[in-house]
Amino acid sequence: MNGSKSEDSRSNKAIKRNKTYAYIKRYWTLYLLMLIPLIYIIIFRYIPMTYIQIAFKKYSIVQNVWEMELAGNYGFEYFIKAFSNRDFLYALRNTLLLNFLDLLIGFPAPIILALLLNELAFKRFKRLTQTIVYMPHFLSWIIISGLALQLFAPTNGLVNIVLNRMGFKSIPFLNDPAHWVWTYVLLGVWQSIGWNTIIYLAAITGINPELFEAAAVDGAGRFRRIWHIILPGLRPTIVVLLIMSLGRILGSEFDRPYALSNKLVTSVSNVIATFVYTNGIRGLQFSLTTAVGLFQSVIGVIFLTVANAIAKRFGERGII
Amino acid sequence: MKRLFSILLICTLLASGLIACGKKITDNTGGKDQNNNATVTPGGGAGNEEIVDRKFTKTRKITVEVFDRGNEGGTPPENNFYTNFIKEVVLRDHNIEVTFVPVPRWTEVEQINNRLAAGDAPDICVTYDYPTIQTYANMGGVLDLNPYLEQYKDMLPNLYGLLTETNINWNKNPETGAIWAIEARLANPQRINTFVREDWLKKLNIPEPTTLEEFEDMLQTFKDNAKTLLGKDADKMVPFSISYDVGWRADHLLASYVPDNLSEKDAYIYGFDDRKFLYPGIKEGVRKLNEWYNKGLIWKDFALYGSGDTTEDNMMKAGYVGAFIHNWDYPYRNGEDSINNNLKRLVGEDANYVAVMPFKNDAGFYRKFLPGPVDRKVFFPSTNDEPLASLLYLDWISKLENRMFLQIGEEGVTHEKLEDGSVKMLATKGEKIMNSPNNIDYTITINGLDIGDQELNIKSIALGYVGVDPSYIEKAYKYSVEDGRYSQNYNFGEITSETGMGPALSEKRNTVLTQSVVAAPDKFDAVFDQGYNDYLNSGGQAIIDERKTAWENAMEQ
Repeated sequence: MNGSKSEDSRSNKAIKRNKTYAYIKRYWTLYLLMLIPLIYIIIFRYIPMTYIQIAFKKYSIVQNVWEMELAGNYGFEYFIKAFSNRDFLYALRNTLLLNFLDLLIGFPAPIILALLLNELAFKRFKRLTQTIVYMPHFLSWIIISGLALQLFAPTNGLVNIVLNRMGFKSIPFLNDPAHWVWTYVLLGVWQSIGWNTIIYLAAITGINPELFEAAAVDGAGRFRRIWHIILPGLRPTIVVLLIMSLGRILGSEFDRPYALSNKLVTSVSNVIATFVYTNGIRGLQFSLTTAVGLFQSVIGVIFLTVANAIAKRFGERGII
Repeated sequence: MKRLFSILLICTLLASGLIACGKKITDNTGGKDQNNNATVTPGGGAGNEEIVDRKFTKTRKITVEVFDRGNEGGTPPENNFYTNFIKEVVLRDHNIEVTFVPVPRWTEVEQINNRLAAGDAPDICVTYDYPTIQTYANMGGVLDLNPYLEQYKDMLPNLYGLLTETNINWNKNPETGAIWAIEARLANPQRINTFVREDWLKKLNIPEPTTLEEFEDMLQTFKDNAKTLLGKDADKMVPFSISYDVGWRADHLLASYVPDNLSEKDAYIYGFDDRKFLYPGIKEGVRKLNEWYNKGLIWKDFALYGSGDTTEDNMMKAGYVGAFIHNWDYPYRNGEDSINNNLKRLVGEDANYVAVMPFKNDAGFYRKFLPGPVDRKVFFPSTNDEPLASLLYLDWISKLENRMFLQIGEEGVTHEKLEDGSVKMLATKGEKIMNSPNNIDYTITINGLDIGDQELNIKSIALGYVGVDPSYIEKAYKYSVEDGRYSQNYNFGEITSETGMGPALSEKRNTVLTQSVVAAPDKFDAVFDQGYNDYLNSGGQAIIDERKTAWENAMEQ
């Protein structure tokens, strides 16, 4: 608290402090308002974080988290246990695989859709399409998986029935691991594409219209305008969203893989979230799964900061 | 910004310090319960003076778990005609106020886990999953019932009368004497049956199959005659249907592949999986299923549907399914809405499922593995501060008069008495509807109808199904238990390697079995062996080894 030694810096600090006090005094109502979200964050975000230590301790339901016994290997017993568990390693691989494909295909898709929608001349049709494409965002994965079964089941699914009638063989959309991965990714795109488009469309609206007019005067066509005006205009938005997606590369949804999975595709559908569910929540190994969760978060933070640093190096603003 | 951060940090530390203090207080109660091993603490003793003739002088309050099945047309499981009866009479008899806590039936283990962890589990908990109880007992979250049972035994004549020492001491630790849970009585041991469309047999003029070969031929004949049997829906024909839970849904078939001379030792060591996946011979049984699958005799899409999905039931109701293995009374249960009754409505009066018994083992017996006389496990979490009141509740619900009323309800409304004394259940709608068959969810110390006389029980069970001739039920009952081999209770203390492994291993077993059934014939061995080894490497082998040592230490010294 009173760490500074030289007189100069102390007086400097004193001035600064006075300024801050004056500032707070003047805008205290605003600070009071901020207190509400702050309390929320403390109670629901920071306090729960103290329970991270479960990852390093032997969990017991009757003991206070501070009193639990430290786990073996200097507390790293459960990390070692996780990494020597083959199911966890498979889950890790699958999580990376599915999230990477999601990023590869799911990330550019809404950008392209936003560009397409933006070029539509007939405004009413544009609005209608936009509304329809973002509808699936409000469907839960349980409902989508039910729809998927109705459509893609090998003998009873509508799509396969049509294929069979036309003389083609059934496509194992859901019952072959390789096909399942694509079904999983494409259903994800279908569900989220419209919703993610909104933010890009908003960014496009923010581009100065004079640029378009000038380009038109210079004789630039549609593609030239997209390439030289819209895409550069979207770049900050794209970068921010990309950094955030990279932060989630090891994060894993539970309901999507769990609802879409079945016993024939477990080799690709078992992800970290489902591993945590079977072993932790159902198998009562809370320390093990907290360790897994902590590992996920740490990797997520690393990805986030690295991506952020790279973005900054290339002259973008970044998010941190 | 820095300042703000430091304030935040201080707040966080302060708050977590407060939490730590707060927890300490609750912790004391948890600690107290752990001492109960030795003697019953004053809490119990003090209660003694406040109780006269098994009735508390001051009203006590307890909470009791009840399964919520969310059935159509049902009543709220925590508040209906039957809970009112229980509440009223328990208050009258023992001065105990009962509150029911509904827990969804199909996710009960998860729900109870969460409630235990949150410290708001009901005083009396019920689950089918003993490892869950053991895990929580190890953490100090479960009350040791032994000292209470010993002290209050005289006050619990009905509980001891129904469960007997066998079920009460079933889980007693041989070394410490701790009893974490008592076992409810399984009144009737029937478990699984094989069902076939009787009208199809008649139409195609084939007798009921009595051997595997005949059963297989029958399936093939069903398939070949799909046009005759289903007309324009011929492509929907499913000769044999199954689900992802292959172990259950092929039980009698798989059991017939297990050598008859399986020793008690091996039965114990490899018997921890509740589908007997590790018993010798099972692989050959699965190979048979694989063969059927690749011949198109098994429902092609079965692997895609998860638990609780009604697609398969609907196919049975619509009349597309020729044969299946399931719970011993599966097509007949659920009153008017049973599979059989739906089938009759949709297909025709003569459409009907009948139980058959085709699967013989190597010694010529129709062997099936049947459980011991145990059912659900009843335990008290350590947050239970009314152990005596809770035990008295269990005693009350074990009394014949009380549980019989719950099982059969009011005469003329939910049942009628026949001349020979047997009881016929009636389909009831409205407030007196039973949410579970015979209100099994309330009679937590017994599963299965018991009106005090075994012969009348079976007769009454057979009468209890709507729209089915009792002879079909009696046949199903007989086939379900004939040549059965019952599980013996070997309790050598806790097998530690089983802790927390149950769900993960069951999941793996279902995966191996499902993938093996649908594998291409030439890949069957590879798929099965790989999955089997994966099962062993993921904890199965450790359990086998520990059980082996436990057996040898206790039985072969």
